[in-house]
Amino acid sequence: MIELRQLRKHYKMGDSIVHALDGVDVHIAAGEFVSLTGASGSGKSTMMHLIGCLDRPTSGSYILDGVAVNKMSDRQLAVVRNRKIGFVFQTFNLINRTSAVDNVAVPLIYSRKTSTKAAAMAALEKVGLTPRASHKPSELSGGERQRVAIARAIVNEPKLILADEPTGNLDSRTGEQIMGIFHQLHEAGTTIVLVTHEMDVAAQAKRIIRMRDGKIVADEMLDDKKRSALQAEALRSPEPVGSPT
Amino acid sequence: MFLLRICMMAASSLRANLMRSVLACLGVIFGVAAVVSAMAILEGSTRDAVKRFETLGADQIIVTNGNDGQRRSRSVVRPSLTHPDSDALAELESVENTAPESIITAQIKHFEKNLSIQLLATNHNYTEINEYKTVRGRTLTKQDVTSGRKVCVLGHKVARGLFGETPAVGARVRIGGLGFTVVGVMEKKGFLGMRDVDEQVIIPLTTGLTRLFGSKYVQFITIQVKNSNELESVSQEVKRQMRVEHSIRAGEPDDFRVLTKEQITQNVGGFVDIMAIVLYSIAGISLVVGGIGITNIMLVSVTERTREIGVRMAVGAKRSDILLQFLLEAGVVSVFGGGLGVLLGRGFTKMLENVTVLLKTFTTPRSIMLALGMAFFTGVAAGLYPAFRASRLDPVEALRHE
Repeated sequence: MIELRQLRKHYKMGDSIVHALDGVDVHIAAGEFVSLTGASGSGKSTMMHLIGCLDRPTSGSYILDGVAVNKMSDRQLAVVRNRKIGFVFQTFNLINRTSAVDNVAVPLIYSRKTSTKAAAMAALEKVGLTPRASHKPSELSGGERQRVAIARAIVNEPKLILADEPTGNLDSRTGEQIMGIFHQLHEAGTTIVLVTHEMDVAAQAKRIIRMRDGKIVADEMLDDKKRSALQAEALRSPEPVGSPT
Repeated sequence: MFLLRICMMAASSLRANLMRSVLACLGVIFGVAAVVSAMAILEGSTRDAVKRFETLGADQIIVTNGNDGQRRSRSVVRPSLTHPDSDALAELESVENTAPESIITAQIKHFEKNLSIQLLATNHNYTEINEYKTVRGRTLTKQDVTSGRKVCVLGHKVARGLFGETPAVGARVRIGGLGFTVVGVMEKKGFLGMRDVDEQVIIPLTTGLTRLFGSKYVQFITIQVKNSNELESVSQEVKRQMRVEHSIRAGEPDDFRVLTKEQITQNVGGFVDIMAIVLYSIAGISLVVGGIGITNIMLVSVTERTREIGVRMAVGAKRSDILLQFLLEAGVVSVFGGGLGVLLGRGFTKMLENVTVLLKTFTTPRSIMLALGMAFFTGVAAGLYPAFRASRLDPVEALRHE
């Protein structure tokens, strides 16, 4: 599904060059549930932007679903994002002046679908928000807003869902409900890449990739034993103050 | 379908910031109001003028003082037309009748009652040429004119104003300090050419010229031709005869003008054209100013909604989609302002009509569509730069924007 080879991303910051990604090789198969984790500045956000086709690498190749996307034009990338990728953000990023169902329908508008209502309602049903369809985001709780955002991410039935700290702005109980939805999506066959610095959230995936200084430092499959060890570790060392977004 | 959805999105962001949208398109509101008013006034005055000239007979030629050259060079028109000119023209084979006419504004008095009127000094042919009839008494006779009698014929409104229901014929009135006997009252007619003849009093030309007008010249001569198909050839004949009457040598310019009804209507058209240029310039300037207002507010909107633009890009909006969305949004805001402008313009013209009474306005559906179209294009043009900025945003940067 995702194949990254020697992926690099360099930024100019004043006179110096920042190596945000410094030669990354990753292969993620279709249907995997992967956590991407690391401290602030480790390069995980850059990695997510590249995987999400929001940005292009400085060098290296990226093959998404069998297609090389690192050489695509802005216009082609927009189509790829629309059809193959669903985004879930930490701050939900809903459009506040329109209803939940209209928010969910936005990707359909850009795929030039003529009727959007039925598909948007179906997506809302999958996240259990049918009764709140006509409410505006400001009338919904945090967890409900994130569920609207997930419905928006899945409305075009993408093969890949990219979630960037999806539980970061939620309390732990609501966060668990949201994670429950990701598990359901995973079971239905969607590939999920979850970017988070919270170890107990990351531990819920089937595979965990750890990054530091633009490089991958660990990439391991999680069995139940490793998972409970990670969760225990997360409980002992509470998350640092001033967590990155 | 896609366009419709984009328009609906634009409308919803307009609603979300209703007050700001109204303020943003104030310029467009006034611009469109100006366009609508301008068109209503122009259309109204053209229609009004055409309607008035419809009342002139198609078989008439009018001779006036001055010439084309003098008219252009604003110099004072030197009068040249005389009563004998009128009689000489009446002798022409192709001419049925002629009426020399001079008009001044005057006061008419009957005991305590005092009215402001148009005083027309003319001959006995005037009423016949214009198919203008009396309802009481008689109109002027040849004798009235030749012997300079102090008699007058009252227009409909004048008779009503001075005498009400009591009979007017035979009564004595004073016009410009001179005593006259009322011999007749005219029918209700309204406009004849540019004047409301119901507010007019007719006296014999000779009496008027010698005792009241202080000039031996007449202002114009109305000629009724025998055959209205020969209007052009009779015009030429009249010109020749007038040059003979005024002893103008070959090569020297005319000291008079000969006009047919068509030419007069064209003159009105020329005046309307000048008015149109002035009014449209004002309207154009306000639309440009309105456009700048929209550009300004759209730039603010793009900055405010940077994150939204990032999200839209993330879920698959192409740069061209974002461009289109903001362009249409500017267009929709502008058309919304245009709609308010049309209402304001209609209100303004109605008010003008009521206040000035004289000014006629006429709003056509075409002029409303035109004004709304102009508003839309102003909006789209004004939205170009902000929309371009929005479409060039980097999705990653836009998503990070606070």
